[in-house]
Amino acid sequence: MKPKVAVFDFTGCEGCELNKLNFENELLDIIAHIDFVEWREAMDDKADEYDIAFIEGSISTPECVDRIHDIRNRSKILIALGACAVCGGMNAMKNQKPLEVAREEVYGKDKDLFPTLPALPLSAYVKVDFEIRGCPMTQQEFLRVVTALLMGKNPIIPDYAVCVECKLKENECVYGNGMICMGPITRAGCDAQCPSFGQYCIGCRGLVSHPNKEAMIEILTNHGLSVDEADKKMSLFNTENREGGLK
Amino acid sequence: MKGMFLSKESVVPFIEHLASQQKVFAPNKKVHGSITFEEVNDANDVVLNYARALLSVKKYFLPQRETLLKYKLDDNSFEKQEIEQVNAIFLGVHNYDLQAVLKLDYNFKNNNPEKNYLKRREGAVFVGISYEPDNFHFSQSVGIDPHNTNGFDLFLHKTEEGFVLEVLTKSGEKLLDGFGEISEFQGEYPRNENFNASLYAPQSKLKEVFANSYDNPIWKEMAEKCVGCGTCNLTCPTCFCFNVEDNVGITLKDGSRDRHLDGCMLRGFTEVAGGEIFRDELAGRMRHRIYRKFKYISDITGEPWCVGCGRCTIFCPAGISIVDIVNRLVSDYDKQQVLNEGQMTSVLD
Amino acid sequence: MIKTKNGELKELYYPTISEITKIEKFTDKEKWFEIRLPNGDDLQHQPGQFVEVSLFGIGEAPISVTSSPTKKGAFELCVRETGMLTEVMHRMESGDKIGIRGPFGQGYDIDAMKGKDILIIGGGIGIVPLRSLINYVIDNRQDFGKLIICYGAKTPDELLYPEELKRWEKDDNIEFHLTVDQGDENWSGNVGVITTLIPGLKLDLKNTIAAVTGPPIMYKFVLLSLQSKGLPDENVYMSLERRMKCGVGKCGHCQINHSYVCQDGPVYHYPTLKTMEEAI
Repeated sequence: MKPKVAVFDFTGCEGCELNKLNFENELLDIIAHIDFVEWREAMDDKADEYDIAFIEGSISTPECVDRIHDIRNRSKILIALGACAVCGGMNAMKNQKPLEVAREEVYGKDKDLFPTLPALPLSAYVKVDFEIRGCPMTQQEFLRVVTALLMGKNPIIPDYAVCVECKLKENECVYGNGMICMGPITRAGCDAQCPSFGQYCIGCRGLVSHPNKEAMIEILTNHGLSVDEADKKMSLFNTENREGGLK
Repeated sequence: MKGMFLSKESVVPFIEHLASQQKVFAPNKKVHGSITFEEVNDANDVVLNYARALLSVKKYFLPQRETLLKYKLDDNSFEKQEIEQVNAIFLGVHNYDLQAVLKLDYNFKNNNPEKNYLKRREGAVFVGISYEPDNFHFSQSVGIDPHNTNGFDLFLHKTEEGFVLEVLTKSGEKLLDGFGEISEFQGEYPRNENFNASLYAPQSKLKEVFANSYDNPIWKEMAEKCVGCGTCNLTCPTCFCFNVEDNVGITLKDGSRDRHLDGCMLRGFTEVAGGEIFRDELAGRMRHRIYRKFKYISDITGEPWCVGCGRCTIFCPAGISIVDIVNRLVSDYDKQQVLNEGQMTSVLD
Repeated sequence: MIKTKNGELKELYYPTISEITKIEKFTDKEKWFEIRLPNGDDLQHQPGQFVEVSLFGIGEAPISVTSSPTKKGAFELCVRETGMLTEVMHRMESGDKIGIRGPFGQGYDIDAMKGKDILIIGGGIGIVPLRSLINYVIDNRQDFGKLIICYGAKTPDELLYPEELKRWEKDDNIEFHLTVDQGDENWSGNVGVITTLIPGLKLDLKNTIAAVTGPPIMYKFVLLSLQSKGLPDENVYMSLERRMKCGVGKCGHCQINHSYVCQDGPVYHYPTLKTMEEAI
């Protein structure tokens, strides 16, 4: 029996999902091994239970909260897909100001029609089995995770810095070109995509576990940022409310 | 052996002459923006005046990524990997990088000789070049004189007018067959001994220093600055640790067992199944890295396992300097010695 | 240029495809596997050595050999489900293929043990490599003096080799002590950590060699106990766990100071370990 797979979107740009629809060479191979049973962007069908649920987006409304609990209850494996689902993503910037202010800025006089919550990663509400990081997630990593799950093994998500992949690829360090790069403290797995194109890493895959934040702040301030700016750089893709935040 | 003179104008024809005989790898800045060794397609792309390549020529013998074997999942069979000799001329290699290769030879020849490395390494020919030490080179302190030609087949000593081309082996001499744009060189070889960075002590003394530095507070101090990104490991020409991973194709029919370079500064390096990490603290990892360069292997071979290329320092995003660490250990050791002597004297009084 | 003796070098990274011939479940977490190399070849290991188990698509993991080299035609592993490879291994069945590399590392110094009393101290899964030595001693009984086995587990449910424990218990040639940290309603034996067994032992101190294996936390206390008993450090051997990825002293993961555990260990003479920082 092929595993039943569903894809759901919450608060986010849906870029990760679109990225997945863009598989050209691999889509047939994937479909040979799994059954997509529910995927709003790609099909009309619905199902009651899922072997694997991929969830894109952060949780930012009371309705989202009910829905994510419901999906979790009906899924054997739940995978957070992309930066918003894994760590709140860009959406979490909203959490830096009072909710009411954010609500008014966005919805103006209609604000009462739109109840809102701080934008949080899935793990703040439900158990997340695996994470596919990145903004957007990369197709290669998605394939790696799916392959691993089909093999019955846990997907390996690197827990070392982007610098590792950058050096293996012999990229010139972008700090040398006056850029400020989050690579030294950002989790690898993207094959150092941005620095490979001469761009700095914005840290979209989140921090490595056990990061030495103080040391990174020192690096950033040595390159001309204020402590406040350094802090903002580090929190762009890393909300404080990870596991257990509001469970 | 004999010396020849190669004028600046003859450098490109010289490279072309080499490339007409064999594949040539040389420093290049066009491919990655950084200085990297690349196959020479156009002699004009070769950069001979450079400080250091991001990765040393080690990458041709111990590639960053390598497939160890390929397998089929349906019948549990595997295919052996054919390992090919590199058979190439490495042009413009700085002597510290060749010394590093000679050290890797030791690591891969000893105990269980490793075919993958040794076979690739076999056919390599090296044409060295002298360099101007910058603020990060300290090779002389680890016993590699700027004009040390040990291991090279040919060596280019830079002069005002061009290069003195020193012929060191028969294979080196053969490479020059049919190349007319050189003349016999008479006179002294150029010397350059101006290093801006240096260690305070030779290996003979460092042995003592490191035997007494395990608990030095510097490990904790440096760990406070270090982000643990592993850049120092990955750019080090004498680091050779690797990890092995199985990768399966999306058809689930076949896959490969691949290795890639790893680094002892990375937290997961010592993690075992079940999650225990044996060197969990950055300070311990930092100490392990430096001890590997100056003690663990060095106590056996008598040589430092660092070649003074300065990569770990110049590429460190946090600006941690291996020279500063070692020199601090030396000064702390010296201070301790003075204290000990003082105590001895007072006891004797 | 590098010249290598007799041309071709030994392949280090290719596994030998072997077959699982028997499986027994000991506990919820531990299973015992009997493995047959092609043609029933002997593994030719020493007690205390390990192999790299290789599963295509999954990876490799170092696992102690638990059978004695005196067993011919097949060898045995006892595997705790604790990581990806062992999880998959636990789902495997008799008749399945499994890759093996090795044996690797240094086992127990059998020559130094000959003619001596052998004291085995195994905590938890530490009994696995020790059982190789125990069975070696049992099969070569005339070469050794007394055989004293101390084995401790957390609970009675976690005891490994249930049938063999009964045999060791009954064997007049074996002094067998068993303890659990926490008993249950059916347990009538010793309750207490493994160190509680040591003070009661009657040892011929000069003539006893101890082989100790267990979780890292156990070593400190067992060593203290043995020291206060008066057993010289020279008479103690221990086995270490580390991340041994390649098994051939190349990948660097298992290194402690100057020593590669996959080469110089996993069994170490205690006086050597004492000189190594970070070891215990």
